[in-house]
Amino acid sequence: MTTLTIPLSRIEGHARVVINLAGERVLSAHFQATELRGFEHFVQGAPAEQMPIIVPRICGVCSTAHHLAAVKALENLAGVTVPPKAVCIRELMMLGQVIQNQATSLFLFTMPDLPGQAGVPSLFHLGEVHSKIAPRALAVRRAGTQLITLAGGQFIHPVRAVVGGVSGGIAPRAAAEMRASLNQALTRASFLVDAYWDLFEGLHDRIGTLGDDSPTYYLAAIDRGHAYYGDRLRVMAPDGSVQAAFPPCDYAEHLTDVPIEGSYSDGTLYQGELVRANSLARLNIDPHPTTPMARAYTERFWQEWGYPAHAILLFDVARGIELVYAIERAIELLEQDLDGDDLWVGCTLRDGQGCGLIEAPRGPLIHHYEVQGGLVTSARFVIPTQHNMLAIERALLVAARRYVSSAGISLELERAVGRVVRAFDPCIACATH
Amino acid sequence: MNQTSSAQSDSTAVATPTFAVLQLSGCSGCEVSLLNADVWASQQELVYMPLVLSAEDLPPVDTLLVSGAVYSDDDLHRLQQTAHRARRVVAVGTCALSGGVANLGNRESARRVFLDDTSRRHLPRLLPQLRPVDAVVSVDLYLPGCPPTPRLFEAALKLGEPFEPAKTVCQDCGRIKTRDRPDRLARHSGVAIDPEVCLINQGYLCIGSSTRGGCGAPCTRAGHPCVGCRGPSNGFISRSADEWFAAIKRVFERMTAISREQIDAELRSPGLSLFVFQFADYAGAPRDIEKVL
Repeated sequence: MTTLTIPLSRIEGHARVVINLAGERVLSAHFQATELRGFEHFVQGAPAEQMPIIVPRICGVCSTAHHLAAVKALENLAGVTVPPKAVCIRELMMLGQVIQNQATSLFLFTMPDLPGQAGVPSLFHLGEVHSKIAPRALAVRRAGTQLITLAGGQFIHPVRAVVGGVSGGIAPRAAAEMRASLNQALTRASFLVDAYWDLFEGLHDRIGTLGDDSPTYYLAAIDRGHAYYGDRLRVMAPDGSVQAAFPPCDYAEHLTDVPIEGSYSDGTLYQGELVRANSLARLNIDPHPTTPMARAYTERFWQEWGYPAHAILLFDVARGIELVYAIERAIELLEQDLDGDDLWVGCTLRDGQGCGLIEAPRGPLIHHYEVQGGLVTSARFVIPTQHNMLAIERALLVAARRYVSSAGISLELERAVGRVVRAFDPCIACATH
Repeated sequence: MNQTSSAQSDSTAVATPTFAVLQLSGCSGCEVSLLNADVWASQQELVYMPLVLSAEDLPPVDTLLVSGAVYSDDDLHRLQQTAHRARRVVAVGTCALSGGVANLGNRESARRVFLDDTSRRHLPRLLPQLRPVDAVVSVDLYLPGCPPTPRLFEAALKLGEPFEPAKTVCQDCGRIKTRDRPDRLARHSGVAIDPEVCLINQGYLCIGSSTRGGCGAPCTRAGHPCVGCRGPSNGFISRSADEWFAAIKRVFERMTAISREQIDAELRSPGLSLFVFQFADYAGAPRDIEKVL
């Protein structure tokens, strides 16, 4: 048996791909997370009210999602209903998170894979023809971070969501400035998504596939209209039929945790079947985003690739559509009154259990805490990247079989491995936590 | 970015300074903050940073930024293998400086569970004790913060204007101190927060009065007490944790009617988030003030 170990870059965290071969036969493909800190262990004994500040440190890329999932879990425990304005401010935090993340993933992580015969090492190597791309990509990303800062206090490890609401509103003047900045970002994002789309079609022509893997189940926690503050998980079957939705507290009835050999991350099965989360899952489950530009892009998407879409590399283009959607939606929400006294309701944390759900950029994130005497006695983090782990391994197996033959191992194999993994935009710090 | 132009420039030109980022066990928050710093269109050339750049190995480099803690044998190995290739090593973020949030894992009971749970084969092993970067290699500059703000990264890479950080977070904060003397500590979910008044006057255990400034106080401005992620201000760097605690207690004595005993108990509570960011390894040797940004 031959074992190929392929290092990975342009993803969050430390991971590798291992492919086992017997001659020209691909026996198996593994996606292995090689880091671990142990949050589920070391938060035991910490005061529950500190969770929204401690657990964002699971991941500096997705910290807003962890901040909000923790707060929602404690609110589930306290039985408190958050005022509508506070929900709106939290949705703005998530939209900022989506803008930042999708811009990072799309331009810094995957765009370098697209040009020429072999891609380039980084966004900063795109060359003269694409010299406008890098500065605009960084500017769009920065608009996302400004939005998180405005709504959440700071753009990494935000602090403004508190149990019962948010600790501060958004003044009309600050909202107006943010809208102006987002309008600029929207123009840039549209330029960038068009450029991405062109390069993406060039890649498709060159390699002749967008992924040959067969359909799976899809999982997302978005409400109709693509809102990122969902309270239920929705599931689509491989044939496109929509399955029953379920609340986060029922996750264990639907989602099974599966240890992965040689990895510090577990994987997830939905009712024993493979499942995919992240951008394409959301677009399949909610195929008509409400904002005008995102809707136009989505129509083009369905026209070119059919509905529902299953090809792995389409996760990337779907991320571009979500980038545009998130900017448009944030501009809409910032028109509302987001200031005043009705941002918070008083409540008392009590002992018991609580589950909080948020649709993070990579899919549904659940925090589940058990609290006794005000201290956390058990913590469980159900992580979006884990939902995709087994789907990534199967997609890698399919890709490996395409590029290993009696003629040998194609030079394209390593590039294909990178493209498949990056399409899922895995976050290893989250997956292992 | 300079890769294209530097490749084309003639060999007599002054070489563009290079920098690299080595990421140990952490959350990538420091890297995400760095991406917002104004370093990408200009003076420095990035040669290694797996998060955004595919490169086989870390080449000789002018400045090496190291984020994350030395948590696994893999972290230890990569740090030892690469640090000597850099002219200047900068330890970035709370994890690299003191272990950060994962240092909670060094509490003995947690560590037991931990070691029992990590029996998967062919994977990096957790070291018995989490260590800061300067326990393994010599560090030229410390950049504390969870994460350091983009502005602090610009200062560390010596870009733009000279940087003079405020002495304390308090100086950056701008909330008004009043004569109100609360008699008990407020909890994060207990009361509405006044947007103008000092958080200590509102009963919050805020330690911004002795925490290093320069971050711009985003947390306290947003209504969350300072948890000390930037570490001690210059006055406390070379003193013991007890002296630092005593100074915080004096502030509370002056500004509140909360008992010294209660403040002391809270400050020493290992579950409290400020403990996570600061006090966990404070028994370590003090750092040279000149080296801390």
